Amino acid sequence: MQPFGSIKQFVPVGADAIMLYFSGSNLEQANAACQQWLRVLDSAANNSEQAWLVECVPSYDSLLIIFDIERVDSHFVYNTLRSWQNGGNTMSGPAVGSSAVVSPAGGETEVAAGKCHTLPVWYGAPDANDLAEISQKTSLSIEDIISLHTSVEYKVYAVGFAPGFGYMGDIVQPLQCPRLSTPRKKVPKGAVAIADRQTAVYPSESPGGWNLMGLCPKTMLDKNNQSLLSAGDTVKFVSITESEFNAYHEG
Amino acid sequence: MKVEVISKGLFSLIVDEGRKGKQRHGFSQSGPMDEMASHWANFLAHNPDNTPCLEVMGKMTVCFHEPAIVAVAGRQVTVQVNGHDQPSYSSIKVNKNDRLSFQSEYVGSKAYLAIYGEWKIPHQVGSACTVVRESLGGLHGDGRGISDGDCIDISRCDEQTYEAVSVRQLPIQHSMSIKYGEHVAYDIEAPLRVIKGYQEAHFSQVAKRMFESSEYTVSSSIDRMGYRLNGADIASSLSSMRSEAIHVGAIQVPPDGQPIIMMRDRQTLGGYPKLGCLNPLDVSRLAQRVPGETVSFIFQNSEEARADILLSRQHVQRLRGEIA
Repeated sequence: MQPFGSIKQFVPVGADAIMLYFSGSNLEQANAACQQWLRVLDSAANNSEQAWLVECVPSYDSLLIIFDIERVDSHFVYNTLRSWQNGGNTMSGPAVGSSAVVSPAGGETEVAAGKCHTLPVWYGAPDANDLAEISQKTSLSIEDIISLHTSVEYKVYAVGFAPGFGYMGDIVQPLQCPRLSTPRKKVPKGAVAIADRQTAVYPSESPGGWNLMGLCPKTMLDKNNQSLLSAGDTVKFVSITESEFNAYHEG
Repeated sequence: MKVEVISKGLFSLIVDEGRKGKQRHGFSQSGPMDEMASHWANFLAHNPDNTPCLEVMGKMTVCFHEPAIVAVAGRQVTVQVNGHDQPSYSSIKVNKNDRLSFQSEYVGSKAYLAIYGEWKIPHQVGSACTVVRESLGGLHGDGRGISDGDCIDISRCDEQTYEAVSVRQLPIQHSMSIKYGEHVAYDIEAPLRVIKGYQEAHFSQVAKRMFESSEYTVSSSIDRMGYRLNGADIASSLSSMRSEAIHVGAIQVPPDGQPIIMMRDRQTLGGYPKLGCLNPLDVSRLAQRVPGETVSFIFQNSEEARADILLSRQHVQRLRGEIA
């Protein structure tokens, strides 16, 4: 299965799935290409003629496509994707050409816009405070740590690990620090954390090995188990005080 | 109708076919560990495949407050009603106040109890399946397993239906050894079929030969997330990689070289190298192995895997047609 367009590699995954890996001049480009193919596949999934499509699981620069093995095999999936790339010239293909979702072969992929979120953070909240350790690891003052963390608009590259857990990046280089050598058994709900180039908010209490910076009062996973963050969204953190945290109401 | 759990056994939970299309939001696929057995149980209890049922380790006893049609399936399962032996892999018509007990002969293997009717339990994220780690599903919708004294509310089986429905029974040669494609279901001897994939190229030829030619022991670190095996070290040359989707049955190899087969409640994304994936038919077989048992592997290509799966499904369809 030869690569084409923004897809740099097709790899078999078991009997009923294939993995697509994406190219780009940087991770953000590759992630955008992944998101665009996901949208193409999602629009196809609404078409009854594409009933072979079972589930797609995107990540940073990869997309797992699970198909119905009774209907099709991996070669069919490959050929179908290829035909969509070439302008959706099959009868049943989604209208790739008109919406220009997929870039021409070899071309740069447009970065599509997701939702923008502003997430308030009570930095240094006692239940989630590794700021002293982060300061030690990075040789930055606590004020600098907070101002660096809030200085960047982050991209949600993937949602996984736990329901509603968004992997965001990139942390600016001076703030990057390794995960804890021993993971905690319990990280509180709403904890804002960093590890290497990534940052995240823990949607619910769980084990975790990232460095904690504070608490976010916003619900990451609502009563209906809807995730606030989706891959492709952007996130900006803003610093709030303890009293603002306590007075915070959704809305 | 109330079904009262007198004794839950070691660990029991409500499962259905699990969550579909939700892995991209971080929700585990979930579903029955031994999908083949849970499907048989529901079919024999005259239910559609996706009806909830109980996945049980150890010996469970339940009491029926009204007449019901039930079926039990799994690996070497024994069934009793009011102390009298009953067949597994068969519809059983129980009466009011009957006590049903069942268990697998292997501690740690799963038995499935299906009960005819509509289960009145909460559905979350499209499924009633219990995922303890995610606090989702189950009787109370909070991810708790079954407790002694729990009552499950299931629509009443009216008298007419109770009398009219046939007793479905898997022919004895099949109930002893249900064939999944070429392999007998719980046959320890038959190797687990593996389709190479994922980071396969980063595993040496020697590692792959070791993997296929040696036996692995099922460790005590097995749960609904994954089965850790002990045996030949097959570490890959890959030191770091970006997290990516983990398909069911994926053979994940952490730096210590000991493979972990990823099961129903696995996390959706992970960053360890993977050698390939089990044939989906063999995920059910592995799920019934218990600590200390050995397993071995054989590589097959995806065309062979597909042929096995299609044959197995035809076989199941034919059997269902003969039984119904």
